[in-house]
Amino acid sequence: MIIAQQKPIKDIAAMIEDCKKVLLVGCAGCVTVCLSGGEKETEVLASSLRIMRRLQGNPLETVTITATRQCDPEYIEPLENLVKDVDAIISLACGVGVQYLAERFHDKWVVPAQNTMFVGGSRTHGVWEERCGLCGDCILHRTGGICPIIRCSKSILNGPCGGSQYGKCEISKDVDCAWQLIYDRMKALGKLDKLMEIQPPKDWSKSRDGGPRKAIREDVMIG
Amino acid sequence: MVGGGIAGIQASLDLAESGYLVYLVESSPAIGGTMPMLDKTFPTNDCSMCILSPKLVECGRHLNIKTYTCADVVDIQGEAGNFTVTIRQRPRYVHVDKCKGCGECAEACPIDVPSEFDQGIGEHKAIYKPYAQAFPNAYVINKEHCIECGACEEACQAGAIDHSMEEEIIELNVGAVVLCPGFQKFDPSQLTYYGYGKFPNVLTSLEFERILSASGPFQGHLVRPYDNKEPRRIAWIQCVGSRNCRIDHGYCSSVCCMYAIKEAVIAKEHSKEPLETTIFYMDMRTYGKGFEKYYNRAKDELGVRFIRSRVYDITEVGDESKNLRIRYAEEDGTIREEEFDLVVLSVGLEPSPEIAELCQKVGLEVNKYGFAEPAPLTGVGTNKPGIFIAGAFSAPKDIPETVMQASAAAGASASLLAEARNTLVKEKEFPPEKDFSGEPPRIGVFVCHCGVNIGSVVNVPEVVEMARNLPNVVYAGEYLYACSQDSQASMKQIIEEYGLNRVVVASCSPRTHKPLFQETVREAGLNRALFEMANIRDQCSWVHMHEPDRATEKAKDLVKMVVAKAALLEPVSQIVAGVTKAALVIGGGVTGMTSALSLADLGYRVHLVEKEQQLGGVARRIRQGLKGEEVQPFLNDLVNKVLSHSNIEVHLGAEVQTTAGYVGNFVTTLTNGKELQHGVTIIATGGEEYKPAEYLYGESERVFTQLELEEALDKGDPRIENGKTFVLIQCVGSREPERPYCSRVCCGKSVKLALKLKEKNPSASVFVLYRDIRTYGFLEDYYQEARRKGVIFIRYTPENKPRVENENGALKVTVTDHVLGVPVVISADVIGLAAAIVPSSSNRKLSQLFKVPLNEDGFFLEAHMKLRPVDFTSEGIFMAGLAHGPKNLEENIAQAKAAAGRASTVLGKDHLESHGMVAVVQQDKCAACLTCVRLCPYNAPRIRNYAAEIEPLLCQGCGTCAGECPNKAITLQGYKDHMQMSMSKALFEEV
Amino acid sequence: MRLQYSSNIRIIEMPCSGTIDHRVLLQAFEDGADGVFVAGCMEGDCHFQKGNYRAKKRVNAVKKLLDEIGLGGDRLEMYNLSAAMGPRFAEIANEMTERIRQLGPSPLRKNKAGTSRKEGDVA
Repeated sequence: MIIAQQKPIKDIAAMIEDCKKVLLVGCAGCVTVCLSGGEKETEVLASSLRIMRRLQGNPLETVTITATRQCDPEYIEPLENLVKDVDAIISLACGVGVQYLAERFHDKWVVPAQNTMFVGGSRTHGVWEERCGLCGDCILHRTGGICPIIRCSKSILNGPCGGSQYGKCEISKDVDCAWQLIYDRMKALGKLDKLMEIQPPKDWSKSRDGGPRKAIREDVMIG
Repeated sequence: MVGGGIAGIQASLDLAESGYLVYLVESSPAIGGTMPMLDKTFPTNDCSMCILSPKLVECGRHLNIKTYTCADVVDIQGEAGNFTVTIRQRPRYVHVDKCKGCGECAEACPIDVPSEFDQGIGEHKAIYKPYAQAFPNAYVINKEHCIECGACEEACQAGAIDHSMEEEIIELNVGAVVLCPGFQKFDPSQLTYYGYGKFPNVLTSLEFERILSASGPFQGHLVRPYDNKEPRRIAWIQCVGSRNCRIDHGYCSSVCCMYAIKEAVIAKEHSKEPLETTIFYMDMRTYGKGFEKYYNRAKDELGVRFIRSRVYDITEVGDESKNLRIRYAEEDGTIREEEFDLVVLSVGLEPSPEIAELCQKVGLEVNKYGFAEPAPLTGVGTNKPGIFIAGAFSAPKDIPETVMQASAAAGASASLLAEARNTLVKEKEFPPEKDFSGEPPRIGVFVCHCGVNIGSVVNVPEVVEMARNLPNVVYAGEYLYACSQDSQASMKQIIEEYGLNRVVVASCSPRTHKPLFQETVREAGLNRALFEMANIRDQCSWVHMHEPDRATEKAKDLVKMVVAKAALLEPVSQIVAGVTKAALVIGGGVTGMTSALSLADLGYRVHLVEKEQQLGGVARRIRQGLKGEEVQPFLNDLVNKVLSHSNIEVHLGAEVQTTAGYVGNFVTTLTNGKELQHGVTIIATGGEEYKPAEYLYGESERVFTQLELEEALDKGDPRIENGKTFVLIQCVGSREPERPYCSRVCCGKSVKLALKLKEKNPSASVFVLYRDIRTYGFLEDYYQEARRKGVIFIRYTPENKPRVENENGALKVTVTDHVLGVPVVISADVIGLAAAIVPSSSNRKLSQLFKVPLNEDGFFLEAHMKLRPVDFTSEGIFMAGLAHGPKNLEENIAQAKAAAGRASTVLGKDHLESHGMVAVVQQDKCAACLTCVRLCPYNAPRIRNYAAEIEPLLCQGCGTCAGECPNKAITLQGYKDHMQMSMSKALFEEV
Repeated sequence: MRLQYSSNIRIIEMPCSGTIDHRVLLQAFEDGADGVFVAGCMEGDCHFQKGNYRAKKRVNAVKKLLDEIGLGGDRLEMYNLSAAMGPRFAEIANEMTERIRQLGPSPLRKNKAGTSRKEGDVA
């Protein structure tokens, strides 16, 4: 899922300081699961902003709603009625949601409440870890299910580098050396020989190097 | 049930829940026993009253438990299945059914009497209630001190007082009797050298407990009763009235070591200034589950000082402080003196003389100390069939063991009376609930004066007037006692007349009265959840007595808030599910078989699963029990009974593969492919003997573990037969960093083995090398006997352990003598190692399969260390025996019966109902984020079809999931966020 | 025990302190409370195992938030006490009242509130 964390409240307040009435839109997708933008967080944020503004003698009106997802037009379409009389929209979704809202309601001031961090999973409740670099050309089958692109600090394809010590990466003793992990796992699987194959330089054109990406599936397109 | 302490309460609840009618007879004016007097309980430091009071309420309100207080059982005649019990009920001088417990009488009473509950340190009036949470919630007159001035009668607006009450003799016909009269504390004044009764700063441990207690005479401020000064140095003296043959108290009282440590730890917490705490002891007997860790923490982290010593006497220092000087001998004989501000005597437990009289009359055998030890390998049986025992009357014991034995006695009674199950119990019948869906709220507000308790402070008519004008309120009225019979009748009538669909009572406290009013609205055809209470006595009139205007304002606010909430209340229907009347028992050792047999005798189908190819478990290797019981004939008999019982299906060589479902409805598959449906699960996986890596074990064939030594001894092994010098080493693998718990049984076992070796060859030299000898309870007698017969006990420290060397085939043991302080070398022929009891290797897998927790040591972790010793937090799953922790055979049997007793409270029902208010999921809002699944301690939520689902039968209604749900998909019935928000809104809104 | 304590406290009953939601705490301040305290069981003593720990975490989170938005986290507190600790409750009630008195009335009460509206979810 996409992992996001809420911005400092002061920063959010500053984005809407000229507004009298705002719409806060939560998202029941990834950001609910990573506990930063579901209905609860949306209402907590609304209440906090109201209190803050009331203390400043400049009361703020809020409207809150949580969309099933903000990354599909159908789910944000019904917001139209709510959007009409607000001065701004605060999105608690990832960057995708903010942009979809901004595109759909192009005459409104749409601001993000979150910093979209990475694509990851939850190691344990309250701890999320980055796991995918979104490179567009997966090589996990070659590396024992451990991604060197995102988990190696240097993203090297033929590791480890000289900075690997006692299984840790030289940048921090809290960071495992991905290549040590890959080596250990491949060894356990009896596939060390696969690691002897030298990986050619990666084709980064499938990643961000090729500019903004788009995925198109003719077979499922409607109409 | 003879005795209304925690044992009587637990056994009554278990039996009543299993389909039996129970008479609970208590000699004092309230049930509860000793537990309410305690401040905190070890090893969790739980507040004693807090954990007990829900049980008091449950027991007090149970339709099938009839309680007699101020009552003594004077005779029991007849036989198992048909006893006639004679009860003498002393007059209370207050009608329990009329008394509202408001306390106006005590306010009026001019006589002060020392409080027995506070151990004489505090006072109450001649008309009193023993303690705030007491059941029955009714006052009682101490006639000895009463001057019959009539002030109480005048003050009582309920007309509950009756000075003319007389003693009554009551006869009851019962099928089984459980004796659980508890204990009395040893009176230390007979030991003049401690100066108790003479020196004001020498107290008993129970007196100290009351001083610590927040509800005690000093509200929990740690001061000396003598001068109200805070002590800086407190000493505890152990074994006062225990392990003392000179006064015929040779036994160990088992609980004092732990309670002394607890008192020292809590005293330090209570003290504002640094407090020195010192415990003078002989052996530190922290043998129970979690105890050793508690001891280590007190010693190593909290700075409690422990001095192994013999105390000679206590004298006063001779100045105004009346401080005390303790003279004691250290282990090496050095005599020292030390001054303390306060000395606490850790007094032992003894049976009360009243119960001795009853036992004599009934012909019930007691041991030489007057305790009714259970018949061999029964856990709860006596020489009289149909009469069972539980609690400290069977041997000194702590609360969890008391509760365990109580459940066991309940289980044994239930099995005995299996045919009579469900023949005498009553169920409350209610009219069908009216359907108000779609109708606007119509709220009735009933404001109570509570005699003068509320009315003399709060202006009740003003509150009523205000309430009448609140939104949705269609009726508001005032009542002298809202809880009285006539008020209840009028309440029902008004509900009918005004077409009320929500009811609010503003009165005393939901703690005592909510269930009563809920029943009333239910009788009027309203769902229980459509009732709400405003607490305007305990939280208003009583605590703002001198500010009537502000109290009235507050009462109005509280009513406003509750009315706002009431408008949002919705009916809550209990979820009902059927029960598969079968049990799965995992583990075919003595524990598992005993549990299986108990349930099978009750008529339930039992699946007994054993991973080995034969039944018996580790008991197959035990020859004799700790008290000399022959184990093998007992075991064979047990195996035969299990194999031939028509209700038991034995699955040998099988283990659990998968399991699903919840209480009442489990489905489990075994490795042999069989699928079993069962309503309860008992985990009795047993334990294993640690394979030592120390003391040349495995290297010399003359180094044995305890079990091996016992077997060799039994078989007449020449190594034993020809041995002349035996060394038994204790704590091998226990009380070590990697296994910090005490294995509990090994001290008793080694002492027995030493005696056996001596018996075989009186000229043999037998040494026991130990750290603390933990022969708790009556096992102490064997320790005394062993010393008398010349077994040599040498204490070693973990820093300086014995050394075992093999010198050309001869075993040489070197140990530093604790008295002389010099190394002693023993040439041993045989070495016996008291190897630890380690958890079964299957525990971890079962813990994952059933989602039940293990503790740090790998044993299963119970729902509550004190009061739910065989339950898991997940309902319908129970544990017994070594799976729970080390204990001896007798204790395992008791626990096995306890687990069966607890299990039968589930199997005894045809339907299970959810616990009132539960958490519910609005599934279309659920993101399946797992927060609730990860949070819930009861395993109630799970994700199914991409959304959370909360099993209402498992949900306990704490609402933790609702509070944390990130998309607010979960709400807790009756406590929804918007209800709380509407209360706060109403509070600040002008009417 | 009938110990007297400050008469300015109004109590909302919960089955467990673990039920408390961040929004309910904030709402109380918006409605006009000068101070709020959550009373849960002693640590390690929760009738429902861990509810009071969760409550403490949430209260601490809201305290931090109140500091950030300028109302001040001192107006909110979590206390742990047992049902048998009447004197402690009275002490807490007085302690909290005294603290709030020092802080003065909630500044929110001087200022007009903005309205809020909650819409149902789109799904």
